Amino acid sequence: MYGKGLLKGLGITFGHTFEKKYTIQYPEQMPHLENRFRGCLQFEPDKCIACGLCTKTCPNGVLTLETVKDPATNKKQPVSYTINLQYCMFCNLCVEICPKSCLYFDHNFELAKYNREDIKMHYTFPAAAAAPESGEKPAEADAGEARKAKQLKAMLAALSTNPAKVLNKLLENEEQTAILAEVLAGDEKKSARLAELMLGDRDKAKKVAIAMVNKELKDRDKAEGGEK
Amino acid sequence: MEHWFTNIAGALVHWLMGLGVPAGWADLILLIVQWVCIIGIVTLNILILIWLERKVAGFVQMRLGPNRLGPFGVFQTVADAIKLLTKQDLIPAAVDKWVFRTAPLLFIVIAVMLYVVLPMGDGMAIVNLNVGVLYFISVGSLSTICLLMAGWGSNNKWSLLGAMRAVAQMISYEIPLAFSLLGVVMIAGSLNLQDIVAAQHNIWFILLQPVAFLIYFIAATAELNRGPFDMPEAESELTAGPYTEYSGMRWALFFLAEYTNLVAVSALAATIFLGGWQGPWLPSWLWIIIKTYFVMMLFFWIKWTFPRIRMDHLMSFSWKVLLPVSLANILITGAGIHLFRLMGWC
Repeated sequence: MYGKGLLKGLGITFGHTFEKKYTIQYPEQMPHLENRFRGCLQFEPDKCIACGLCTKTCPNGVLTLETVKDPATNKKQPVSYTINLQYCMFCNLCVEICPKSCLYFDHNFELAKYNREDIKMHYTFPAAAAAPESGEKPAEADAGEARKAKQLKAMLAALSTNPAKVLNKLLENEEQTAILAEVLAGDEKKSARLAELMLGDRDKAKKVAIAMVNKELKDRDKAEGGEK
Repeated sequence: MEHWFTNIAGALVHWLMGLGVPAGWADLILLIVQWVCIIGIVTLNILILIWLERKVAGFVQMRLGPNRLGPFGVFQTVADAIKLLTKQDLIPAAVDKWVFRTAPLLFIVIAVMLYVVLPMGDGMAIVNLNVGVLYFISVGSLSTICLLMAGWGSNNKWSLLGAMRAVAQMISYEIPLAFSLLGVVMIAGSLNLQDIVAAQHNIWFILLQPVAFLIYFIAATAELNRGPFDMPEAESELTAGPYTEYSGMRWALFFLAEYTNLVAVSALAATIFLGGWQGPWLPSWLWIIIKTYFVMMLFFWIKWTFPRIRMDHLMSFSWKVLLPVSLANILITGAGIHLFRLMGWC
């Protein structure tokens, strides 16, 4: 009979109309993932023995491991471990080869990041950093100084963008903060000195701030007197 | 409830006459009001229709369809319409500007003209034309030229190919479409749509003329350029046929006109084969809406079930199958009517 196939097709689509829908409302509703699903590569630093097998087996050079030799035991110790996931092809070789099972794929598949640098996952080993290695201590000191410089920079930035908020901590009077903000906006040296003091000695910073305000008020009085 | 709309129209004319407006002018104003109402209904209806079609398409394919904006996604089309309205008005440099610009306007005007004769309830046709069926078919076939204008004006090979397909297909299917309605006209003895509805008081014409309904349905699908006969558009072959160069509001007008035609053709099917506005309990205008939507759901169902047919198959199907069958249907109907009269059954 002609048209039998057409009727059959119509029957199928009619049936589908009332069947369960396959759509998953993704952000609200997560898809069901099997155990073996390979999402984001995860690393457990505590278990790592610095054997370096994972870095050797990785076909894309995703993994990098830094090690030092412990002079006491004459064994390698991990210093840092980096997973540059953007090159990973999720082949599972590193997971298979790791003798201590410290690598595994979790179920997180939302791997998008805003910056390219954020894709890298970096792990450092505190135990190795404390190890009595000659090159370690200066590095730590450097890090401390770098941190201080960074804090100073942040404080300066805060002073220039939103002075009232920062200075409120030093001065109680709103009028005084306004005056000081004006002073600092015109003088980079003064703001640098104040920022440094604020990081180091809070009480001294307060005294300096009040002195600065008083000086400015005096200067203004003088200027007004001159005009008259 | 039955006489809501006729009462409103009567009250309007009465009020205008009370203000001292001559009867002829009052009727003219009423006509304009009805015209505006039709345009309003058409534009509002399309918002529901597109949503409904996408929902049906989703359900048929075991998807959910639009469901993000508003309850069940009903405001999806509203958002789409706003997007289309605010889009840049692009006219390619090489097009024939006048033809390109007038084609969508003419298309929508012709589509809206179809509604003039449709009885949308008991005594609710805007013009009670005694050649209603003829008017509908002749005005409906005018839309062919709009597609040709769009295709020719676009100055683009795909557009012109699509337009040529549209013309070939729509002219070929015009004939079985008209012939399928002829059987009904012969039984009803009138071209007036109101009379045809009245003639179905005892039995719907779909039961007396099942073959005619089938032919009408197939030919109407081809006339509307809807799947599985959407050869003029044929996304996979011609990008979008005559609509390729159109964007924004002009494209939206084509879309609007297509759905307007769909409603008109479905309403005509409901009027001629499914007893029109006649039905128990509910008011007549609600019955015609229910029946029209039922026919439209059939169109949706068919479109989202069948794959697109090949162009030469489409043409040979019209000339070699539908035309002879519709002629035979007329012959048998004529013979049947003669037999009934001879035996004195009617």
